[in-house]
Amino acid sequence: MVSKYFIASVASFVVFCVLLLLNYYEIHGHHFQPKLLALTHILTLGWISMIIFGAMFQLVPVVLEVKLHNEKLGEVQFWLYCIGIIGMVYGFWTFSVGMHFTASAVMVTAAMFLFIYNIFRTMTNVTKWNITGLFLLTALVYLALTALSGLILGYNLGFPFLDRSHFDYLTLHAHIGFIGWVLMVIMGVGLKLIPMFGLSHNFSTVPAKTAFILVNIGLLGATIEWILTGAVWLLNVYIAILMLGIVSFIIQIISILKNRMKLTLDIGMKHSAVAFGYAVVATFVGGLLAWSNPGDEGIREQTVLVYGLIIMVGFFSMLIVGQMYKIVPFLVWFHTFSDRAGKEKVPLLKDLLNESLATVQFWILNAGILTMIAGTLLIQQTVQFIGIALITIAALLFAYNIGNVFYIRKLHANRRKST
Amino acid sequence: MLTEEKVHNALYSVIDPELGIDVVNLGLIYGIDIDDDSVTVTMTLTTPGCPLHESMSSAVYNAIRTLDPDKEVKINLVWDPPWTPERLTDQAKEMLGW
Repeated sequence: MVSKYFIASVASFVVFCVLLLLNYYEIHGHHFQPKLLALTHILTLGWISMIIFGAMFQLVPVVLEVKLHNEKLGEVQFWLYCIGIIGMVYGFWTFSVGMHFTASAVMVTAAMFLFIYNIFRTMTNVTKWNITGLFLLTALVYLALTALSGLILGYNLGFPFLDRSHFDYLTLHAHIGFIGWVLMVIMGVGLKLIPMFGLSHNFSTVPAKTAFILVNIGLLGATIEWILTGAVWLLNVYIAILMLGIVSFIIQIISILKNRMKLTLDIGMKHSAVAFGYAVVATFVGGLLAWSNPGDEGIREQTVLVYGLIIMVGFFSMLIVGQMYKIVPFLVWFHTFSDRAGKEKVPLLKDLLNESLATVQFWILNAGILTMIAGTLLIQQTVQFIGIALITIAALLFAYNIGNVFYIRKLHANRRKST
Repeated sequence: MLTEEKVHNALYSVIDPELGIDVVNLGLIYGIDIDDDSVTVTMTLTTPGCPLHESMSSAVYNAIRTLDPDKEVKINLVWDPPWTPERLTDQAKEMLGW
């Protein structure tokens, strides 16, 4: 079941890159445009959230030492989610936002609630709670809020009923999704996986606990202020608290990396370390957008686009690519070789991945992201095109590399059948 | 006859697939007890909730069963005392880049 989620998400990433490349001229001006909305949702629903669902189905039982409540529910969720995404993306792309669009949004929301129910029921059996569990439980609440706010926004597009600007709610929906859902998962899972991969011990988790408190106070406070259109100064205070929370988590990551026993960073960890660098840049740009005077509308619109690109491609996608290079070889090894370990010589996880290809992809992806950002900021569409082309090449190399790891599993399964 | 030394040597073949280092040099083996019918290995992992939990235990089990298929093998996975980096041998540290 987990493989299905991983394969669908990698396919979504490739589709996103190819469609972005063919429509590169759309990354210009205001972000509220049909094709940009469609592309954003391919990335956030099809790539980012899809892979989180798959990873959480795998990791929650292991990290919290419980059995997944219902695997079949995960299957139902997958198909409901995929059909819903296709309908939603088509609706955004063609800007046909009537009943079929709302129905698709309902399917996506229903799939998300199936996930929330499944993981929540799984968590009710946890006897030994840890900080990762707390981050993940909180992320589920924000996923519910993201889904519901998205559904309301989707309905409002076809059948307007909200009294305030659609854009105001869109900003809120995006940030609850980015910070409450995705970042909360990253913080929780990162706190478990990064020390495990780096063999880090003897580090304090105070920065992570501080991050948990500050990010929640900041995000909830800012959300309430935003909805109530309260005092601007208070909203700015909440944004500052939120940013301090993110900085605190980055300090946690630095501390984990400093205390690692495995000194050499493999390619998965290099991706992850650079991704956190992009997170720092995104936090800085976010603060700049929140606190600077509107100024030139054109520059602001381009900066908003850059902000979104750094978060979704620089931070989230870079981190996911890195973690996939760690998780997928492990899954394939587990299903293919674990029962033979100790009886005969079995490959190591690094033997299953073409690390040289991943390294080439790493540099191309970074060059692509930086070029795309420069092109967007300078409003140079040729530069943007070159950047997106590089990102697309990197996405294809990544998909090929991950596909090869899955192929090893299939190859060995066939060999076993024939013997 | 199965001896503690033979079991210990056999465990050098059990490699952590993520780190590429065997369980002995990683310092994961706390004790080996052999009696007439069974072998009991007391071991730990570098962190609780490790995804390799089952695989590492079963690999240790397999390695001993390969050595003597007649003996019952018991794996006693413990978290106390917890594993610390001080348990790594010099060879393991070298393999980790130190």
